[in-house]
Amino acid sequence: MSESFNMDNLPFSLLSAKEQALLNNNLDIAYFQKGETIIAAGEVPEGVFIVLKGKVGESDGSEALDQDAAAASVFVHYQDEDYFGGWSVLNGKAIHNFIAVEETICHVLPTRILMDLIHSNPLFADYFQQNLTAKREIVAQHSQNQDMAEFMLARIEDGTIREPLIVLEGTSLFEATRLMREMKADCVLAKKGNRYGMITGTDLLDAVIIKGLSLESDVSDIASYRLISTTPQDYLFNALIMMTQQQIERVVVMDDQELVGIVELTDVLSHFSSHSHVIGLRVERAQTIEDLREASKGLTDLIKALISTGVKIRFTMELLAAMNGRIIAKLFELVIPRDLKPHVCLIVMGSEGRGEQIMKTDQDNGLIFREGLEWPEMPAVMSKFSETLISFGFPPCPGNIMVSNPEWVNSTGNWATKLTKWSQKFDGESVMKLAIAVDGKPVAGNAALFKVARNAFLRTLRSNEIFFSHFAKASLNFDTPLTFFGNLKDKGMLDIKKGGIFPIVHGIRTMALEHRILETNTFKRIEALVEMDQMRKKHGENIAEALSLFVQIRLKHQIQRVEESKDGIDPTPNAIDLQRLNKLERDLLRDALRIVKDFKKHLASRYHIGS
Amino acid sequence: MIIPRTIRRFKERREFKDSPYAHLFETYKGDEVVSLDCETTSLDVKKGEILSIGAVRIRGRRVITSERLDIKLKPPASLTGDSIKIHKIRASDLADGIEIDDALEQVLEFVGNRPILGYYVNYDIKMLDKYIRAKYGFSLPNKAIELSHVYHDIIKWKSVGGDVDLRFDTISKKLDIPIIQRHTALGDAITVALMYVRLKFGAPLAE
Repeated sequence: MSESFNMDNLPFSLLSAKEQALLNNNLDIAYFQKGETIIAAGEVPEGVFIVLKGKVGESDGSEALDQDAAAASVFVHYQDEDYFGGWSVLNGKAIHNFIAVEETICHVLPTRILMDLIHSNPLFADYFQQNLTAKREIVAQHSQNQDMAEFMLARIEDGTIREPLIVLEGTSLFEATRLMREMKADCVLAKKGNRYGMITGTDLLDAVIIKGLSLESDVSDIASYRLISTTPQDYLFNALIMMTQQQIERVVVMDDQELVGIVELTDVLSHFSSHSHVIGLRVERAQTIEDLREASKGLTDLIKALISTGVKIRFTMELLAAMNGRIIAKLFELVIPRDLKPHVCLIVMGSEGRGEQIMKTDQDNGLIFREGLEWPEMPAVMSKFSETLISFGFPPCPGNIMVSNPEWVNSTGNWATKLTKWSQKFDGESVMKLAIAVDGKPVAGNAALFKVARNAFLRTLRSNEIFFSHFAKASLNFDTPLTFFGNLKDKGMLDIKKGGIFPIVHGIRTMALEHRILETNTFKRIEALVEMDQMRKKHGENIAEALSLFVQIRLKHQIQRVEESKDGIDPTPNAIDLQRLNKLERDLLRDALRIVKDFKKHLASRYHIGS
Repeated sequence: MIIPRTIRRFKERREFKDSPYAHLFETYKGDEVVSLDCETTSLDVKKGEILSIGAVRIRGRRVITSERLDIKLKPPASLTGDSIKIHKIRASDLADGIEIDDALEQVLEFVGNRPILGYYVNYDIKMLDKYIRAKYGFSLPNKAIELSHVYHDIIKWKSVGGDVDLRFDTISKKLDIPIIQRHTALGDAITVALMYVRLKFGAPLAE
């Protein structure tokens, strides 16, 4: 029933028109009462069920004897066009119970037809059978078109229209060239009566060198007056086509006979690519704190641009970590006297150290200095550094992990001792501090100091089973809530940090520490663990994919909230509003949370953590 | 009205005992019901002509949309402005429609001797009867199930003294049933089928 069945959802949208018709002709609609079993564990299901209305819970077959126990063991809810039973169908037998939590109406796709579709459509089959990594890839392939569409829809006025350099008739070649240099323009418009003519740098060279004109010649004589023009409302894409066809690099923008400006080929091409190198250059060139502040302002826009153009979240994070690192390092250079630089090392820790922050998260930083360094002004300079960073929009750390706090300013020896002490105490605070500290990464000053301290600490750690068991335990502290999808009608807020991000980050951190992996980035730690055969490749990929999904969804919500709030501050940066998730995001999120759950199970047995 | 229909059915059952249509007159013993709906040019049976017929079978608590009837007829002469406004069916939409005689064959084949369910089902049956009587010489002998009666019988206990709102949209809202596609024959037939299943097998209605 095309009328009631939504073909726009994945994986059904992957089907051809003919396959969709086949699907349509074979769907039935089933009605279930509250509490009724739709698929029973151990049975052969009749097909895949797609929820039209109502809610279905999936629960462990073993515990479903009485109703309360069944309700307690529900680990996933399905509703609103979610589908279930696919796994059971493909494996021939259900291992879980699927029970209607409320009155439910489902479309039923018979097994026979599902098999036909899986055989005829490899992409559909992949989506149905594959793990999260593969699913996300399919999703990514299918959203490319969307980016292309956005590109096609951008208008001239959305891009960069350059203000033209205009000279009057009678201006000499020399003067025109001088002006172009001064204004850093690479073309000039000469006004002759009511008309404009364009002269490019190449035209000037040709005139003087090839044609041998004198430097005093009238520039308007060498201008070309057959200008190719466009309007501000025209599509940027059309301008690109025009330039390609005419083999030119500029078009003039005219709004109803009035000259508006010039659009250059390079501007069109770079409109959708990132402007990261521009910000990077400005950071490097900054001579004062003020310069640096200006340059750092561009970062928020850069984040949005990268996200909206669909750049992979992992690379976005890497790029931003690099940019933030450069800003912090540059500020450090501006604040610290030159002769002290070889004797101190600034480290960033926590998410910054891992290179996994997106929006500017709290500053977690510390200073390591050479044994016996005498520098009385150190506390004052460090306070100024922290304050300046706050004024740049890096929020202060609530745990006060900042160089303005003497606890985080240490000599190399003291730093190693501190880390060791934390690793020997098993209270929550010590574990958290150590977790933040072992993600530390040097960003400015003398990196050798950091390495000395870190290696000294790692030597004390050896293979201390008790330590790792306690350290790993923190990743099991918070529940991973797979049933929250059922709460869609309620407030439905998920703390994605507790439920998804932290267990992965901390679990991987523990494993990395155990295997002396010096990388701080979670993705790179995972890669290293896979390389060392401490983790299966497939598991590593799935965990990495789950983490990047969490970060991506969180970011989307953060951007929305910042835009909606008056003061631009997001009070709940880790909350995922379930009402705002679309069907696809719910699907993927559910898969990702399952991966977290499995990973936690693995950690519990690997580090002998009893519950 | 009911008595003459019963008597006529007895009479016609005897008359058509040896015809290919004898099975239509047998009492139905299965558990299936056919939900049926017609879109027509007028609500007056005498003037109206059928534009489309939609039907689905209900087996137990399942609406078997994979076994369905979705018939478009050739555009009749009476297809004019007023009815077009309601069902949004234009003559051009019926360009590939079939002849009424073929449609009737398909309907009899699909429905058999099962009970016919509908919303104001007597209208749809009378409409079909007009053509069936002309062609075959009998009227549909099937048992009719009126959705609004089923609904009324259940709801009336809860609204003693008041009139029960029997409008299509109200019923679907009360039963929390999504309207599949209003004013297409098949869509309405499916929606009515879902409402019926909900009433027959669902939990008691909330206030």
